[in-house]
Amino acid sequence: MKTELTISTAAINEAALAKRREMGKGMGAVIYFSGVVREIEGNAPITAIDYEAHEEMARHQFALIFDAVEKSWPVESVRLVHRLGVVPVNEPSLWVEVTAPHRAEAFDACQFLIDEMKQKVPIWKKPLPA
Amino acid sequence: MKVSVKFWSYFADLTGCKEAEIELSDYTTLGQAHTIVLEQFPKLAGAKNSTLKAVGLEYEDDDFVLSDGDEVSFFPPVQGG
Repeated sequence: MKTELTISTAAINEAALAKRREMGKGMGAVIYFSGVVREIEGNAPITAIDYEAHEEMARHQFALIFDAVEKSWPVESVRLVHRLGVVPVNEPSLWVEVTAPHRAEAFDACQFLIDEMKQKVPIWKKPLPA
Repeated sequence: MKVSVKFWSYFADLTGCKEAEIELSDYTTLGQAHTIVLEQFPKLAGAKNSTLKAVGLEYEDDDFVLSDGDEVSFFPPVQGG
């Protein structure tokens, strides 16, 4: 399984990521998910979220999750981008893409990957009040 | 033995530092080290039960036996995405 992990303060360029997509001829499903900063966090309006990571551990934990995906589904590739630093409302903080032969495994693998990230990858957020 | 302790997210605000070095007896477990850290940084006590603990890049249980030079991280539940 091919994997590509980007953890960066740079804005996530979804169009550029889509343009670089590579799929084998046996792949029938590509799904991607964008996690976008909402204007309300808890019950309070915010302008942005400031993301912090234990980056070395985050990379290691993502690698373990990618290994688990590979063992569970016939996924061809996973690309994941997590932005750090200040991410304004309406901009993506997370972008995940999974390619697989069929949609069921692509959806399941993507859901698993995000669920695991939210349990294990050491990234934290600090909402910035409006 | 000495281990370094790193505090992440708002734990660093509660302790007033991102990193500390603590002196421990040989064969101290991660759980025992947590208790010692809470004595030095009592503001972390309120988050004791939800604290996540790692040694190096791996999550470890309280019965994990620490070694000289280990890097221990304490942090709140993660919130990626």
